[in-house]
Amino acid sequence: MARAIWSGSISFGMVTIPVKLYGATESKDISFNLLHSTCGTRLKQVRWCPTDEVEVPWNETARGYEYAKGQYVVLTDEDFEKLPLPSKHTIDLSAFVAESEIDPVFYERSYYLAPDERAEKPYALLLQALEEKKLTAIATITIRKKEQLCVLRPQSGVMMLETLYYPDEIRAQPEVELKSAKVSDRELEMAFTLIELLRKPFDPEEYKDSYREALEQMIEAKMEGREVITAPEARDSKVIDLADALRKSVEAAKKGAKPKPAARQRARPAARRRTRKVG
Amino acid sequence: MKAAVRSVLEQLEAPEQRLTLQVEGHELPVTNLDKTLWPGAARRKPLTKRDLLRYFARVSSWMLPHLADRPVFVTRFPDGVEGKSFFQKHWDPVPRFVRTVAIYSRSGDADGDYLICENLATLLWLAQMAGLELHAWYSRTERAPDALDRGRRFGGSEAALEKSVLNYPDFVVFDLDPYLYSGKESRGAEPELHRRAFQRTRRLALRVHEDLERLGLETWVKTSGRTGLHLYLPVVRDLDFDAARTIAETIALHAMRQHPREVTVEWAVERRRGKIFFDYNQNVRGKSLAVPYSPRRHSAGTVSTPVRWDEIESVYPTDFTLRTVPDRLEEGGDPWAGILTSKQDLGTVLGMGAGGGR
Repeated sequence: MARAIWSGSISFGMVTIPVKLYGATESKDISFNLLHSTCGTRLKQVRWCPTDEVEVPWNETARGYEYAKGQYVVLTDEDFEKLPLPSKHTIDLSAFVAESEIDPVFYERSYYLAPDERAEKPYALLLQALEEKKLTAIATITIRKKEQLCVLRPQSGVMMLETLYYPDEIRAQPEVELKSAKVSDRELEMAFTLIELLRKPFDPEEYKDSYREALEQMIEAKMEGREVITAPEARDSKVIDLADALRKSVEAAKKGAKPKPAARQRARPAARRRTRKVG
Repeated sequence: MKAAVRSVLEQLEAPEQRLTLQVEGHELPVTNLDKTLWPGAARRKPLTKRDLLRYFARVSSWMLPHLADRPVFVTRFPDGVEGKSFFQKHWDPVPRFVRTVAIYSRSGDADGDYLICENLATLLWLAQMAGLELHAWYSRTERAPDALDRGRRFGGSEAALEKSVLNYPDFVVFDLDPYLYSGKESRGAEPELHRRAFQRTRRLALRVHEDLERLGLETWVKTSGRTGLHLYLPVVRDLDFDAARTIAETIALHAMRQHPREVTVEWAVERRRGKIFFDYNQNVRGKSLAVPYSPRRHSAGTVSTPVRWDEIESVYPTDFTLRTVPDRLEEGGDPWAGILTSKQDLGTVLGMGAGGGR
């Protein structure tokens, strides 16, 4: 399994269960690099200060909170360290609820929880108790300096941890006016029939990211056809350009080299020889 | 066969476990001669320290020229190739017949004694210590004939070493290492040798060889003795290690663009999977590759072996072992015998005219 992103322990009542946390999901989106379309060079991100008109190195950056237009308070690393983080290495269970009580809109990210060494027994006990009671546990966890609300729920013999949005992170529902829309019994019957036709068990394997597949095929095809955009030092795949690239490397190397004794600077005939016999 | 080699082979015929070998006027005590270094397998007898001494003696005439004047690093396997090993760079004390050279070492900010293996006795002394994998620098302490005006002070400071002839390599090197897994490896293990991977590696090597040949540059090839191939481009010593690395990088990136599905230059091992790692990062002073005819850490007793381009299609790394390589050399000689007299002046070959070289 991949590297644990967090380790600590589940704590409730007098019980602590050492556990490790692993990401349960990953995005398979294909990412692209931004190039300059006329020369094919990869673009560089520059942190630019428009006042001083200079590129700013990392050690001269600060984090500012914009409390009014153009007005900032600056928080330093020391400020962040002073913040209270009560559950840094613990998952504090505070309540047990039925899973159906939590609306899916609250779910943020999914993780797998695995027992740490010698914690299999209490881990299994909590897992089985939640399974049999059909309950999930509400808890808090601090991941990457941020305290988050989460739930622990059993799923096919493994404990899952789902981070939740806090209620104030859920946007208000839009105002939807439905009173004027009258639905007749006949229309409802028709809707039921349609739904029954498409009703089947959920099988996630049936759903593929067809856009990504098409994109991958296109990239493959471009690579086969050598339509690969390359950086300018050796723009083309023709051998003649390897010669150019090598010439540039040799030239650069010689410029960087220390000055040579005068005797070495003499001009030499431009004859090409395949190999230079020495010794 | 040289008389000294014949004499050593005759002395090793004695059944004793410990002997004092007479080697070109030097005395070399050897012990535990029947200790297994390469364990046997179904159709393979084990190889012992006595076999290693015999091997080094028989190949010495062809191997020693590749070691001449080069600092050498040795991997010792006191419990055989399947046991623990250690990598030795510095030596103290050494027998009278062993040459060492003091070279500034950045890690200790002081000079260290580096070994130079320049005679049969030294080679056999290394075998006695189960030092079976020999790695040599690409630069050497001798200035003739193509680096006469470089310094010969290697100690004292980094600056002195940088000005010295040891900062000017004889070769630009590439290590072609297939990250094509056989499927039998345990988790996290390096890929094992298998036919398909080696086939793809040699096809790639041939293409790179052809590309460079079209430019008038001649590369030399040897098996690494493990899964891949080593390519050497012998160059006149007027480019320092930094320049050699830049040139190596140019060639590696070109190969990657030419063969994007075959070649990777990724640093992260997991991102090399399915491709051949075109390693140009070895072109650094103080780095080293297995010297021609060095045994490698492989249960079959494989040896890093120079091959001719016209035979590469028909060879496989396990063809070359401690058992087979001495006969091959005695019959056909060393395909790399001329490597140091076929050095290429990149500037001249690339048509850069004046200032292109010495």
